[in-house]
Amino acid sequence: MLKAVDIHKTYNVGPTKIDVLKGISLEVERGELLAVVGASGSGKSTLMHMLGLLEQPTSGDYYIEGEKISYDNDQELSSLRNRKIGFVFQQYYLLPRLTALDNVGIPLVYRGMKDTEIKERSMALLKKLEMTDRAGHKPDEMSGGQQQRVAIARALVGNPSLILADEPTGALDTHTGQEIMNIFRNLNEEEGITIIVITHDPKIAAQCKRREELSDGLIVK
Amino acid sequence: MILKTNITEAFRSLASTKQRTILALIGIIIGIGSVIGMVSIGAIVENEALKQFRDMGVDIAMVRKTGSDKSAEMTLKDILDLKKHVPAVLEVAPFLTAEGDYGSGSKKLDLVQMGVTESFFNLNKIRASEGRLITDLDEYRYFCVVGRETSNYLKSHGATDIIGRQIPLGNRIFTIVGILETVPEGGMRPYGINSSAMMHITTAGRSFQDQTLNSFMARLDGKTSTAESKAAIEGYFTKTARGLRVSVNTAEELIAGMKKQMQLFSILLGAIGSIALIVGGIGVMNVMLISVTERRREIGLRRALGAQQKDIQTQFIIESVTLCLFGGIIGIFLGIVVSFVFALISKWEFLISYGSIALGFGVAAAVGIFFGYYPARTASRLDPIRALRS
Repeated sequence: MLKAVDIHKTYNVGPTKIDVLKGISLEVERGELLAVVGASGSGKSTLMHMLGLLEQPTSGDYYIEGEKISYDNDQELSSLRNRKIGFVFQQYYLLPRLTALDNVGIPLVYRGMKDTEIKERSMALLKKLEMTDRAGHKPDEMSGGQQQRVAIARALVGNPSLILADEPTGALDTHTGQEIMNIFRNLNEEEGITIIVITHDPKIAAQCKRREELSDGLIVK
Repeated sequence: MILKTNITEAFRSLASTKQRTILALIGIIIGIGSVIGMVSIGAIVENEALKQFRDMGVDIAMVRKTGSDKSAEMTLKDILDLKKHVPAVLEVAPFLTAEGDYGSGSKKLDLVQMGVTESFFNLNKIRASEGRLITDLDEYRYFCVVGRETSNYLKSHGATDIIGRQIPLGNRIFTIVGILETVPEGGMRPYGINSSAMMHITTAGRSFQDQTLNSFMARLDGKTSTAESKAAIEGYFTKTARGLRVSVNTAEELIAGMKKQMQLFSILLGAIGSIALIVGGIGVMNVMLISVTERRREIGLRRALGAQQKDIQTQFIIESVTLCLFGGIIGIFLGIVVSFVFALISKWEFLISYGSIALGFGVAAAVGIFFGYYPARTASRLDPIRALRS
C-alpha cells in the first residue's frame, strides 16, 4: 500500500547540511497497524511528514497504492492528502472557533461537498467515537481525550486509506492514552484501516502488530 | 459550500477580534463615505441644474446695474429699447420690487409688491390659476394679480372671492384680477413671486416710493455665445444709456457656478476619499497580516487536511473583502448623510443616487481584494509543516 525507497532528507541550516533521513526504505501493507519508535531527534517526525505528503524528500521515491508521488504539483499533493491520508496529532490541532462537528467536517469542505452532507457524515463519525453529545461544543469546552476523539473523527471522515498518528497519546494521561490506543486497535481490527503510529513510548508500540525502530535517520530494526 | 463556509469563517474570525476590526475599518468608512458623498452631491447638483433647465430654459439672463452713480439711472425706455440695439436679446422683462408687511394684527404677510410687464410672466413661466395675468393694456391702471400665498393669506382673513376683491397697496386701492400658480423658488426667478402682488410697471412707477430700476430679466437667442451677448448688452448701456454700467448673469453661468461648487467639493472629497481608502486599505492589510500570523497553525492544519494554496488564498481574501464590505456599508451611510447635509445647506433637493451605493460596494470589495491579496498570498505560501509547528 505504501512503499518508500531509499528516502533521504537533508536540511540546509545556514552553511551546514543536516541529514535527518539517511536512506529509509519501508513497505506497509493494507490493514497493518505499525508503530514507528525512536528517540527524539531520530527523524521519526520527519518520516511521518514525508509519509503524509507534507514534506518532499531530498531524494528517493515514494508510492501510495502503487502510484509514484510527484512533488511538483501542489494541487495534486493537497488532493492526495485530502483523499488518502488522515492525520492525528499530539496537540489535536482543532480549530478553536469551530464546534466539534465543524472541526470534523473540515476535510470534506475541501472536497466541495454540500453543507448538509458534511454535517451528516461528521455526525456519523462523532457517533462512532461516542462523542455525539459534544457535537456543539468548542474545543476549550472538552477534555484532552475528548479533543483527541474529535481529531480522530476528523481523520476518518474522508475515508482515507491511511491514518498517520504522531504521538497521539503524548499529551494524555495513561488511562486516556490507553482509550485512544483501543480506538486505533478497534479501527484496525474491525475495519481493516491501515494505521501508522509514531511514538517514543514502548508501551504504546507494544500494542501494535508491527514495530520499526528509527535511530539517527535509519531504520535499525 | 466552500464559499458559504468561508464567509461564516470570516465573520467568526472578525468577530473574535472586534477592536482591531473596528479600528481598521475607520479609514475604509471615511474613504467610502467620501466617495459616496462625492457621487451623491454630483447627482444632486446635476438634478438641480436640470430642474433649472426644465423650468425656465438656460437662455435667461439677469441684468443688474452696478455702482451707485445717482446721476445715471436706468430708465424703462433704456430697457425696452435694448431689443432694437442688441439682436441677441429676444425679450426683456423689467420689474420693480417693494417689500413690506401687509395686513394688521399679529399675523402679517411679508408681501412683495412687483411692478412688471407682460413679458415678465413669459420669461418666468408663470401662469394664472384663476382670473388673468397683468398685460401691457393695464398701463397706469390699478389692477393687480396675487401669488398663491398672498391669496391664501387673504382667504384666512375672511375673504371669499379673491378675484374682483379690492385691496389697499401703498396709498391706492387695487382690484385683484388673477391668482398665480405656485412656482418653485430659486434659480433665476426673482424672490417672492408666490407671496406677491403684481401690477403693471407703469402703475408701480406711480405708487412705489423707490422707483429706481436696478435690474431686469432678458431672454437671449441661445445661438449667440454667452460672452458675446453679455458684451453686447454691456456695450449698449455704456454707449447708448449715458455710460451706465451693468452686470449680466446668465442661467448658463448659474449652472456653471453650481457645477464649479460641486467640482470643488468633489475634488476635496475625492482627495480625502482616496487618501482615506489607501490608509484604510493599509490598515486592512495590516489586520490581515496579523490575522495570518496568528493563524499560522490553522493554515498549516488546513493544508494538512487537504486545502490547496488557492483555498487558503480564497479564505483570507474573503475575510478581507467581508471586512471592507462591512466598512463600506457604514461608509455608504456616512456618505448619504454628508450629501444630505450639503443639499440642506445649499437648499437643493436631496436625492439618493443608487448608482453611488453600488459604486460604494464595488470600491469596498476592490479595496478588500487589492489589500487582502498580499496577506492572503503570504498565507497560502506558508510551508504546511512550519506553519503547523509554530
